[in-house]
Amino acid sequence: MSEPRLQPTTDHQVQTGGHAVRTIDLWKTYPQEPEPVHAVRGVSLEIARGEFLAMAGPSGSGKTTLLNMLGGLTRPTRGEIWIADRELAQLSDKALARLRLESIGFVFQAYNLLPVLTALENAEFSLLLRGVPKEERRRKVEELFVKIGMDGMENRRPGRLSGGQQQRVAVARAVVGEPALVLADEPTANLDSHASDDLLEVMEGLNRDLGITFVFATHDPRVMERAHRLIRLVDGAIVSDERR
Amino acid sequence: MSAAGTRPREGLRLGIILRLSLRNVLRYARRSTLTASAMVLGLALLIMSRTLADGAHESWIDQGVQLGTGHVALQALGYQQNRSLDNRLDEGALATVLAALDDPEVEPSVVMAAPRIAVSGLASSAGSAIPILILGVDPDVEPAFSLLDDKLVEGRYLESGDRLSAYVGIGLVERLGIHLGSRFVLTAQDADGEIQGQLVRVAGIFRTGVPDLDEGIIHLALATTQRWLNAPGAVTTVAVLLQSSRTTPPVIRTLERTLPADQVEVLSWREASPELDAAVKIDDLGDWVFHIITLAIIALAILNAILMAVLNRKREFGVLQALGLTGRETGVVVLLEGVMLSLLSGGLGVLLGLGVTWALWRDGLDMSFLMDEELTFSGTLFDPVMVPEFRLATIFLSLALIITIGVLASLYPARQATRIDVAEAMKFDR
Repeated sequence: MSEPRLQPTTDHQVQTGGHAVRTIDLWKTYPQEPEPVHAVRGVSLEIARGEFLAMAGPSGSGKTTLLNMLGGLTRPTRGEIWIADRELAQLSDKALARLRLESIGFVFQAYNLLPVLTALENAEFSLLLRGVPKEERRRKVEELFVKIGMDGMENRRPGRLSGGQQQRVAVARAVVGEPALVLADEPTANLDSHASDDLLEVMEGLNRDLGITFVFATHDPRVMERAHRLIRLVDGAIVSDERR
Repeated sequence: MSAAGTRPREGLRLGIILRLSLRNVLRYARRSTLTASAMVLGLALLIMSRTLADGAHESWIDQGVQLGTGHVALQALGYQQNRSLDNRLDEGALATVLAALDDPEVEPSVVMAAPRIAVSGLASSAGSAIPILILGVDPDVEPAFSLLDDKLVEGRYLESGDRLSAYVGIGLVERLGIHLGSRFVLTAQDADGEIQGQLVRVAGIFRTGVPDLDEGIIHLALATTQRWLNAPGAVTTVAVLLQSSRTTPPVIRTLERTLPADQVEVLSWREASPELDAAVKIDDLGDWVFHIITLAIIALAILNAILMAVLNRKREFGVLQALGLTGRETGVVVLLEGVMLSLLSGGLGVLLGLGVTWALWRDGLDMSFLMDEELTFSGTLFDPVMVPEFRLATIFLSLALIITIGVLASLYPARQATRIDVAEAMKFDR
């Protein structure tokens, strides 16, 4: 087995002054009768590159909304989000799509692999969109698959993989492009305890070895235990920020 | 080269989108099959219907021109407005006309040409007198041109050397109270403007089922007619039968170019038989109204199928956008799926339509069980056996229509795909 060649980059560290993400007084308000709902209230946050951070809180506490805003999937009502030296509110939809492609990886609760693609094709999809040559794509994905214990399953379609295996492919898809940030929304919620532990092991390894920044939105105590930093949200606001 | 530093090219992304669309079409086989079925069946139906309609119309035209003045009528200038012998083609003009028909651009399309004298006159017996159209025809040429000799019910058609023989319709025989072998008198104005009478004998009786023909037309030998009406060597019309009605326009263009416009008028069957032309056009219009209704139903079926698919695949499209595709590109994925399905369905629909039509009805679809008696209209007969006519232009038009409809029906779902709220689409409880 060859040594993994994926290496942490420092490009965006220079651009963001060492922060993977920075938010300033972030609000998300949904107009609703009789009163508007504030899903996120004035969140100001700095996430350094290489952090392994969990955001926890009860349902409706705003953690998924905050995660979606960090990923540029939802635009904030007010406030600023800085990723890779760019303020998201200033970006067009096209530029935002480009930023997601180049700087952000997503891991979803329901895996959300593209059913028409094989495990390898799913994992390399963002590289494909970025025009990375085939040989380089295949090499990166194969190295990554060895690292996450998915080697030998490259040609399987999602329907022929277990939940844990699908989520590993989703993690590979999120990190293969060496993004500044990986956002994971309840990544273990559909997995049994054994598969959850395995997946967290994989992500911790990627964080440790490659310096990839992970931000989780989670209910899972296992994720909270492993997180190096735990932010608790209640009613859309940060109530505690604990570093370990 | 670092992956983070690579910039995608637009062409490359389109290639990826194309590949993704193709995989989606193949992967969702059941949905693709159902959507394609509507297009395949619709196109097959359209082709079957059009080929039969085109065949029926060609049959009407064939019958009409063979009972009338052919695909092209060459007449003396003014004859169409004033059907008197003053407006006739004399021997010299007739020779010019016949020479024009030997033109290399025209001759291959011409089946035959029949010179005729046609004058209005009166048929009189002891009991009655009836206005009729007297046609002086060449007995050697006319049987191969006209359908009238096939409609013989008693006696015989005109023969070479006949002088006073007349071939008359059964309606005229009944109205004049005469029978086979009876003699009766024809009266008409001759070339000098004088009223002339001619005694003739019934040599044959025909029945077409078309009242205007059965009661109103008589065939006489051309030589007898010319002599009787003091117009030796002259004719009023040269009726030209072509290989197909579709060759009429180019033949007319050539004849108009080669014949002297101050002597000879060139008329198409559409001008010579405006009622037949109108009948074909009206029937064609009715067919297209039916086709458009059918196509609209197909379009709604396609729209529904693709839209439902888009709504069911919101999460998938959300993932694509989360991974870096733009909303517009996501819409292109859906649109390309529609385009691919349309192209595939188009090919299959043409094969099915042509195959079924050829297999079942290449010798004709017999509709006679729907008719108690012969149907006539616009001075011609309706042939109850519809023989399909396969025209490349019709097939391409049908194909283009169904593909256009498939693509148009994909536009709205594609637009919906561009508008997906990604965060909403990714919610797990959806």
